[in-house]
Amino acid sequence: MEQLSWTGALGPWLNPAIGAAVLAFGIAAIAHMFVALLTAGQRLQHAPGTAARHSPLAYRLTRGGLSLALGALVVVALAYLVGGILLPPDQKGIIGYLSTRFLPVWIALGLTFALSFAFRRRLGLYGHLFDNPVGMIGLGLVLFWVFTAVFAEMIVTFDPVRDVLPGMKNRAPGTPLANPAQGQFDHYLLGGDMLARDVFSRMVAGARVVLAIAPAATLFAFMVGIVLGLPAGYLGGRFDSILSFAANLVMAFPVILLFFLLVTPEIVEMGVPAYMAAVLFLFPIIFLVILWNARYRTHPMRRNILVGLTFLIGGWLYLGLAWDADPLGLISIPDGVLIVFVSVVFVNSPTVFRIVRGLTLDIRTRDYVAAAQTRGEGAWYIMLWEILPNARGPLLVDFCLRIGYTTILLGTLGFFGLGLPPDSPDWGSSINAGRGLLQVFPFPPLVPAVAIMSLVLGLNLLADGLREESLKD
Amino acid sequence: MRKTDADGPILEIDSLSISFFTRAREIPAVMDFSLTVQPGEAVGLVGESGCGKSTVALGVMQDLGTNGRIVGGTIRFKGRDLAQLGREELRDLRGCEIAMIYQEPMASLNPAMKIGRQLMEVPMIHGGLSAKQARAMALRMLEDVRLPDPRRILNAYPHQLSGGQQQRIVIAMALMSKPSLLILDEPTTALDVTVEAGIVDLVRDLGRKYGTSMLFISHNLGLVMGVCDRVCVMYSGEAVERGSIKDVFDDMRHPYTQALFRSIPRPGADKIRHPLVAIPGNFPLPHDRPGGCNFGPRCSYFEAGRCDAQNLHMAPVPGKDRHETRCVRFREIDWNQPLQAPDRAARAQVGEVVLEMEGLRKYYEVTPNTLFGSGGKRVVKANETLSFDVREAETLAIVGESGCGKSTFAKVLMGLETATDGKITLDGREIQDKPIHKRGRALVADVQMVFQNPFDTLNPSMSVGTQIMRALEVFGIGRSDAERRARMLEMLDLVKLPRDFANRRPRQLSGGQKQRVGIARAFAGGARIVVADEPVSALDVSVQAAVADLLMDLQRERKTTLLFISHDLSIVRYLSDRVMVMYLGHVVEIGATEQVFAPPYHPYTEALLSAVPIADTHLQKTRIVLEGDIPSAMDPPPGCPFQTRCRWKDRVPGRLCERVLPPDIPLGEGHRIKCHLSADVLAEMEPVIKPAAT
Repeated sequence: MEQLSWTGALGPWLNPAIGAAVLAFGIAAIAHMFVALLTAGQRLQHAPGTAARHSPLAYRLTRGGLSLALGALVVVALAYLVGGILLPPDQKGIIGYLSTRFLPVWIALGLTFALSFAFRRRLGLYGHLFDNPVGMIGLGLVLFWVFTAVFAEMIVTFDPVRDVLPGMKNRAPGTPLANPAQGQFDHYLLGGDMLARDVFSRMVAGARVVLAIAPAATLFAFMVGIVLGLPAGYLGGRFDSILSFAANLVMAFPVILLFFLLVTPEIVEMGVPAYMAAVLFLFPIIFLVILWNARYRTHPMRRNILVGLTFLIGGWLYLGLAWDADPLGLISIPDGVLIVFVSVVFVNSPTVFRIVRGLTLDIRTRDYVAAAQTRGEGAWYIMLWEILPNARGPLLVDFCLRIGYTTILLGTLGFFGLGLPPDSPDWGSSINAGRGLLQVFPFPPLVPAVAIMSLVLGLNLLADGLREESLKD
Repeated sequence: MRKTDADGPILEIDSLSISFFTRAREIPAVMDFSLTVQPGEAVGLVGESGCGKSTVALGVMQDLGTNGRIVGGTIRFKGRDLAQLGREELRDLRGCEIAMIYQEPMASLNPAMKIGRQLMEVPMIHGGLSAKQARAMALRMLEDVRLPDPRRILNAYPHQLSGGQQQRIVIAMALMSKPSLLILDEPTTALDVTVEAGIVDLVRDLGRKYGTSMLFISHNLGLVMGVCDRVCVMYSGEAVERGSIKDVFDDMRHPYTQALFRSIPRPGADKIRHPLVAIPGNFPLPHDRPGGCNFGPRCSYFEAGRCDAQNLHMAPVPGKDRHETRCVRFREIDWNQPLQAPDRAARAQVGEVVLEMEGLRKYYEVTPNTLFGSGGKRVVKANETLSFDVREAETLAIVGESGCGKSTFAKVLMGLETATDGKITLDGREIQDKPIHKRGRALVADVQMVFQNPFDTLNPSMSVGTQIMRALEVFGIGRSDAERRARMLEMLDLVKLPRDFANRRPRQLSGGQKQRVGIARAFAGGARIVVADEPVSALDVSVQAAVADLLMDLQRERKTTLLFISHDLSIVRYLSDRVMVMYLGHVVEIGATEQVFAPPYHPYTEALLSAVPIADTHLQKTRIVLEGDIPSAMDPPPGCPFQTRCRWKDRVPGRLCERVLPPDIPLGEGHRIKCHLSADVLAEMEPVIKPAAT
């Protein structure tokens, strides 16, 4: 067994190709910039939307060249991935192996995109995303990580925590195992970290940790923010003043300091995080109960069923999650995760509160709210069914951005060694573990850093796409 | 920059076509549009929203945004083709030779800059004047636009001025560079009627004084008649008729112009004898225009094979000066044929008193600090001792400018607020202290409301059917969802909407259709009293009549009492039985419609009547321009609320108006006014609107 190269048998053809593509792209970009500057005066006479018809020849040439070079770049990149899958195992490079490991993700991504694209006219705002290149790229990146988390078990090559192989400490990407056992994968694809664990498998497993916590924590923060922000904006008065003041207090408190406080053993022993969880986890149940009650006040039967179900299922989850007292013994979360979860929800909810409150202040002056009032609707019906649905656009965008923010926050927490257990494969902890030897062995911290970056970038692009498309309607 | 002088027309638009380009298609906004503005002439551009009149103005300014483009024709300003000018030349032209005034004054002024600085910028940039000269010029201009205390205003910020004052500033700024052409795009739509009248007078007088040519864009025919010499009527991107005011208003030669005039209430109109005629159908979408004449599908003179055969062009009307029309059949149509009035049911019989107000007051306390509840309290007196009654099947119009307390009154009646003092009796039950959640289901269903803004009245996230069904649910009508669904479809029939609208979202409906859904929702629980808060004022004129008629029909069928809140006296006169005029929370005049619209008037009613623009060349009205603005309800004047602006005040001896609130004076048959004027002075009053002397 020898050291794997990055590109394997594809290298001799594709490496020059990608070099040429990059070079062409760079030249085209610089040329286009100059031409665009020089012809700016001529083009501004006409509206930018119609520039194609009126722009000077040079401008059109360089722009065409630019898109051509970009296309070539994409084609070569795809060739690496597809070619990597098709090559026989002994000719694959690292990229080829990676691409092959991610096969379930590619298939799922392809299916999702094909189906969504085919039915995009019937899918509302989500369908509109497919008219927007930026939104599509964002969605692709996010879905990539979502599917990675889902299929993590099929993708990983080693156990991310337990497989500590002798002689693999701080090894470069593509290092073969000294003496692989039968059926064991025979390379550390992205190298080994300082404890001789596989960097690639840790990155894939880390996606699962991050994607299990970040969206759920964001969702809980939204529940809290909505349940408090709606009445603050709608009813106003002293209730609003007190809540806004409290929200400002929380927001003014340095976040990292707050986390340090929350994970201090003394504070944990006092049960502060558990009590906070007890309060914060109540909000989703409150939200749903109010939601059903407001809507089905006129149908007592339907309301009772829905409220009963909410109490039953919500209460079960609540006991399990907040008190670790699930009577069936199915649901529980580890202490460390609970603390991280609670802190993230706690830090995020005041900001959500402020956004919801602001949107409510605007929407409550609309005539349809007045119409609901003159119909004798209750305050909660108006808040949840007349105001909230019409605030969904900005909230959806904020939700995406906030997941990204939470991901970074989780990374920061992991980086400081707060909350999650030290051997957790989450990206922040991995970066922290590898940072000491960053200059000598860059791969252990670099890989999870790129993972965080691409996920957050995807979420931001997705949010951009959603915002653009929701404005168009 | 030196101004170019040229003989001949100031502005010459020749077969202009403007399109907007979207990702999907090209959308033509203006087609084959020609217009000439001579020096010193004021030309009106009239049409409904979406007809392309603002696009023409933006085209003249060469400011069509990122996706608009001129696709044909030329615009010549003083003989120079604007499309050939470079950016620098255009910059010199805009604001210096061509100035534009927009609808929303607050959006045209920089809120962070003092008025003086903003005004001085114009001559300093375009005329190269020194700051001192510019300031002197700004001061002179503020006097010209008749603003009180110009020195103080120079040092004020825009938000410290009222809407009317702001619009005067915008006009002053436009005139600072003595432009040759002034484009006014709906300059008074955001203002109250009495303020509007002042601005219109000002624009006309300044136009004469400086010899400025004007392009006046408006949807209001009355305003155009007041300001302009010539008029151009637009429909769906095309000019359909062009000519002098007199030719177009009295001898129109295009069916659309005729239909437009028949759909607006004029002083002679009356809901029984001369009903309004709405234009059938809907405005065509820009990418979905019919072949041939755009107005064809809605035209009562339509002849298949001729009107839809080929593209039509403007043709001169023989024997008239520069009067043209885009109608192939204009020579054959008998334009003087009287309107075939559709058969109408007689006025509903007015029944018993259902609703009674007695000394109703509503005061608001304004506390500056909510968290600690300290600080001085201020009282806003929104309603002062309202006393009147309304009968079954009657239409009572409540008239007044913004801030007069009519909306507060509606809130108290609906139970969104409780009264500070006084009594509201509905069917013998006192309801003034019952907020809406303490009112029974039947009572809530009895008193319902129709809202002003059609784009705001429906929840955009719910289908039309769901919204009506929810109202039925809340009012406890129907036992099952299926029953309610059937009832909802009946409601759609009732407001003359197709049944498949039930599954549509509000954004798929036009303004008039949304307003119909709003009406269906209000009548869902069998309402007996409906408060209609300016239900038609945000709609296009051709749709207004149809929606107003729908309200009238429903009222007649169901013997509903209608409280019609409006500032538009023409429509009030057309459809109400009685009128109540409010000013600063007081009822200053109440009586039957004929009584209120004939002398003796309350001085405020007189001013309101004279402010209403009338699109009829056979009538003339006395101009009474109210000075100043409505005082704040936080700090009302002592004595009579109207004394600060009243032109009859000096006819009352002993400065009584400034000290004592006038009593209600009965003038017989339920007509009463709140005024100190003696009976013989009142008898001197002349009608505001008279037939024109010919």
